Amino acid sequence: MSSKVVAISTRPSFGFIIALPLLLSLLAPIANASVAQEEPTGMAPEDVWSYDYANMIFPWADEGERILQFKEYHTYETMKLRMMRLAEDNPNIFEFHEGLLGGTNARGEVVGADAYEGWYYGHSSPWLKITGNVKGGDYNPFVGDKGNYEDRHDVMIVGNHHAREWMSYQTPILVMEVIAFSYGNIGYDNDGDGQVDEDPWGDADGDGVLDDDGDCLALDASFQDSNGDGTPCGAGDLGVDEDYSEQWITDLVNRREIYLIPMLNVDGNIYDREEYCAAPAWESCPTSGWRKNLRDNTVTGVTPMPDLDEEVDPSCDGVDLNRNYQFEWGAPLGATGPLFPGMCYNPMGGGNNDVYNGPVDTVDQDGDFRLNEDHVDGKDDDGDGLTDEDWLGGNSEPETKFIQDMTEMNDDNADGASEFKATLTFHSFSELVLYPWGHCTNCESPDHQQLIYHGDQMAEMTQYTNMQSSDLYPTSGDFCDWHYGVHGSYCYTMEIGTAFHQHEDDVDHIAVRNLGVAFYMTEVADNPRERADLAMSDITNQSLQTPDEVNIPDEGNIPIDMCIDKNFPYSLDVSDSHVMWRTVKPSRMQSDYGPREWSTTGWTNTLFEVVDSENCVIGESKNGTILRASLDISETTTGELHYKVMLGTLSGGDLYEYPAQGSYYTLDLSYREAYGSVLGSLFLFAIVAGFVWGGLAVCLRMMLSDDEEFIDLADAVLEEEMKTED
Amino acid sequence: MSKEGGSDQFSGRMGLIFASIGAAIGTGNIWRFPRMVGANGGGTFLIPWLFFLFAWSIPLVIAEYAMGKRSRTGTIGTFRIFAGKKFAWMGLWTAWISTAIGFYYAVVSGWTIKYFQLGITGALNGEGVDTTEVWNAFLQSSGQVIFFQFLVIVLTLAAILKGAKAIEKVNIYLMVSLFALLFLTLFLSLWMDLSDGTLDGALFMFTVDFDMLFEPEVWINGLSQSAWSCSAGMGMCITYAVYMSKDEDTVLNAFTMGLANNSISIIAGLAVLSAIFAVSDDPLATVTGGSSAITFLALPEVFAQAPGGNIGPLFMMAGFFLALSFAAMTSMISTVELCVRNFVDHGYDRKTSVFITGAAIFFFGIPSAVMWIKLDSAGVAFPEFLEVQDHIWGYGLMFSGLFIAYTIWQYGYKKWQADVEQGLAEPGFKGYLTTGVPAFRNDFINTGDNDMYVNRIWDILIYIAFPVLFIILMASYFGDMIANTDDVWNPSNPHGLGIILMFWGVVGGLFIALNKLLVSRPLYRNVPEGAECDISMLPGGDDQMIVLVGESAPDLQ
Repeated sequence: MSSKVVAISTRPSFGFIIALPLLLSLLAPIANASVAQEEPTGMAPEDVWSYDYANMIFPWADEGERILQFKEYHTYETMKLRMMRLAEDNPNIFEFHEGLLGGTNARGEVVGADAYEGWYYGHSSPWLKITGNVKGGDYNPFVGDKGNYEDRHDVMIVGNHHAREWMSYQTPILVMEVIAFSYGNIGYDNDGDGQVDEDPWGDADGDGVLDDDGDCLALDASFQDSNGDGTPCGAGDLGVDEDYSEQWITDLVNRREIYLIPMLNVDGNIYDREEYCAAPAWESCPTSGWRKNLRDNTVTGVTPMPDLDEEVDPSCDGVDLNRNYQFEWGAPLGATGPLFPGMCYNPMGGGNNDVYNGPVDTVDQDGDFRLNEDHVDGKDDDGDGLTDEDWLGGNSEPETKFIQDMTEMNDDNADGASEFKATLTFHSFSELVLYPWGHCTNCESPDHQQLIYHGDQMAEMTQYTNMQSSDLYPTSGDFCDWHYGVHGSYCYTMEIGTAFHQHEDDVDHIAVRNLGVAFYMTEVADNPRERADLAMSDITNQSLQTPDEVNIPDEGNIPIDMCIDKNFPYSLDVSDSHVMWRTVKPSRMQSDYGPREWSTTGWTNTLFEVVDSENCVIGESKNGTILRASLDISETTTGELHYKVMLGTLSGGDLYEYPAQGSYYTLDLSYREAYGSVLGSLFLFAIVAGFVWGGLAVCLRMMLSDDEEFIDLADAVLEEEMKTED
Repeated sequence: MSKEGGSDQFSGRMGLIFASIGAAIGTGNIWRFPRMVGANGGGTFLIPWLFFLFAWSIPLVIAEYAMGKRSRTGTIGTFRIFAGKKFAWMGLWTAWISTAIGFYYAVVSGWTIKYFQLGITGALNGEGVDTTEVWNAFLQSSGQVIFFQFLVIVLTLAAILKGAKAIEKVNIYLMVSLFALLFLTLFLSLWMDLSDGTLDGALFMFTVDFDMLFEPEVWINGLSQSAWSCSAGMGMCITYAVYMSKDEDTVLNAFTMGLANNSISIIAGLAVLSAIFAVSDDPLATVTGGSSAITFLALPEVFAQAPGGNIGPLFMMAGFFLALSFAAMTSMISTVELCVRNFVDHGYDRKTSVFITGAAIFFFGIPSAVMWIKLDSAGVAFPEFLEVQDHIWGYGLMFSGLFIAYTIWQYGYKKWQADVEQGLAEPGFKGYLTTGVPAFRNDFINTGDNDMYVNRIWDILIYIAFPVLFIILMASYFGDMIANTDDVWNPSNPHGLGIILMFWGVVGGLFIALNKLLVSRPLYRNVPEGAECDISMLPGGDDQMIVLVGESAPDLQ
């Protein structure tokens, strides 16, 4: 009987799951009767977890506070109040901002704070700066942010580019709540099962199952798909990735600067909620709604000329913010401009121009009397030595300018590059993870493999599908192409949920399902490329030559090879990567009676060079990279060579030791020089023999002649005595 | 002169020389020297080694002879006379270090006799003889080790029981045989080495690697070989100088002894290296292994491949180990005599002294013979207790040398001050340089009995070179020990510095405490008839308790 249930539960069908409680209730008495000792295999959620967790009641608010419980959507106003409340309650890690203060931006434009206010309602995007000691860092007067630290990497999390994609701001709000609740709250038992931090995001133990602690899987099958998406114990289900480490989150907050912008498109969102879709929006427009911002597109198409119509013209107004970024702006893929100035409508489609990318630029930025001759694509289109200096358009909107200036005016270490090595934006819907490029099809970015890697990790924890953005549909001028293309930031677009206006019953579990993504991106924000390279490298099979494998040449330096994965982001800087070696000589402390003793010299570091001409075998593959260090060991050195390797990554962030931490290889060194020349040794022999044997001979001679003298003297005395006797 | 209570002396110059050479030449020449040559760049090593013979060993030996010849007592008496009552403990230290080394040196000497026995019976050169097994089996059988240790002690006691005349006779026979046996071994070794076409062992031993010549390590090793192998500063020459006739030339004797010591080293080194280079794949690795390892493991293997059918290996094996045992025996004799002399000086009957010393050396040597026989990482047995003893007392030898130098410095300073008081010398540093520094040399070395006079160079060596070299030597050894030994200060670590300092502290403290008791006893000087050994200018000169042999000390009347 029980085997029957198991067999069925491995291939659940929707109908069966619905019928399962009924079936079980029918069968349970029979089972009890037939097998007296056998308990039902599954348990109910409340047998395992706390009441609150089992009912998805978040610990930061009462059960009845529906908005804070994610049972009801935030509005712009409630969201902003909540952000301000949390910033006030957590002054050490949260600082609340709206827009930017302004000043002279990276393009040399003087901008005021009003440059970031929405066209229509006039709100700047509210955002939180999140980092440890958020008011104790360097002050950025343009941004108005006191939490800048040179050694903390920045990560930007943006929601709600598109007004109607409500889950895209609800999810960042949940991130904010979790950080506020978890920071310093070490060892909190999230699910109330008595265990702490037992189920972090993703498949932490690598067994292919997200539910690392198996608590969801231990439930009766009827409870395993709490979010009703058809996957038992899948991402977003109760008991899956539910008990992450508060220590880890605390450390992340202390090591990173998080820029959390839950609702970029405030104008559009208010309009969508209050004007465009009748409440409840999930019924009136589940897969439709207002997308763009509220730029007042004029009939003439010339921006400065005001539209006579004070009201929003839904058939004409607005710019698709996610087509308005400058990189490859205006390319005719997935974005549209008016066919000619003044047109609001896409004449080809005949409908509302939902992907309008904003007006064409009218400024000669470089003052060379040529207009828009070098658009933003990372290339010097006009061959004047400057790159992307006179753009075609894009970043024309308060919201995209806000992102642009936020990015470009954040340069903690003043090296001219953006601090945002990782950026994340939430959208709805399709259950996808998208990585650049978006603007071209059948193209690969220079970081293609690495982008896939991180995308796969996030796809694993959300059980979404990872794909290149343009493989969904091509887009030009989107957030991620700009971040990656212009600033080299690893940028991901999460297409979450299954509707624009998701039913409010689904808010909590969809937000929970995507929660880990934000923390993942925060974690990898220090060096996403290197992290991917390391993760993709076959590090366990990287090896240092054993003493048997070292080829000692008859003369010259001794090469020591290290075979590494071709993906490994090795550094050749001698302070990061080197062979540490020392020669060991017979010790002068060697006792005359005991075992051999060695005297070690200090460790010397020798740098690596890449051997281009050869590959080495690493694991199954024959295309490992050889790093070779050439040890300067004289031919006359005897004794032992001790060697080990420190292999550092490009960022210097990770250090690997071979053969293993704290150990080294020992290679016997034999004398490689000729033992000597006949002539030279004869010469020294003559000197030594002259000194020692010659000296000895002289001494003995003197001694013997002394004795003779003495004997002579004695004889003389005797003779004398005999004479006198006579 | 009467036999009882009369003075004792060598019959002639050669007796003293052979006894001294016998003391100087020990196993260190035969197994330590080739190892040092191998580890320090072959011929390169010979240069510092020779340099320090003249810069360190010979000046100290000259001082020892001069002191012993004047004091006519063993080490305790010599320090009592030369350094004063307060410093008799230095002589006790010197005697103790030598005797403590004797405890385990008798065991080591026993090994050499055992290997002679193995060699002569052909047990080492059959097919399939595993020299490691032979060695391990021997070392692990306590009975055998003790038997050969006992044999050595009996032979040594027999040799010295009768005093100086017997000592010189035994030494002459043993030394002459040693020369002959070493030459035999050398001849066979060179033959072996030449049979593969090259004399690479000899080439290596006489080729200078100029890069290595400038390495401090090589010079430190040269110094240590010279300091430890030549017995300089250890009190042996003080002891044998007691038996000198009046007109012995201390300087010439020192040179003869030092050069003879190095001659033997060269012959032994050449023999060992040639043989090893003739047959070993990696001769330098072989030669730089542990010392007992080369001698008792590698050499039998090498010698077994000597030419001449069965006879060659047999000759080589037996000859070499007999030579080695002779070298060990003569050193053993001087060690025991050093101790015995001190007993005799303090009024003990010679026979009693010899038996007391012999018994002590036997019983205190037993732990070294049988305790802590361990296997090293290569599976070779080694006596760890013996090694620890060597570790503790070996470095103490250097302090005996320091005490001798100190005595010289003190004498010069006091002499100068006394002269200044009497208006014979100028005060100030210049006066010290002209009167104080050469005082010991003028009063005790260049006495008129010598053919060879020593000049200012000796002063420079004793006053400047010696302390500098002493500090370098001790600093480099102890520095190395501190750097390379885990837990070096823990006195329970047998290879650390803590254990050395602890034993030195206990022994040194005990001796200083015993000093008063020691100098309350009468001291009998062994002054031969006709030898004028005036000690009135010395600190011990007004010590009423120091009398000649046969006289009675005042308090005992």
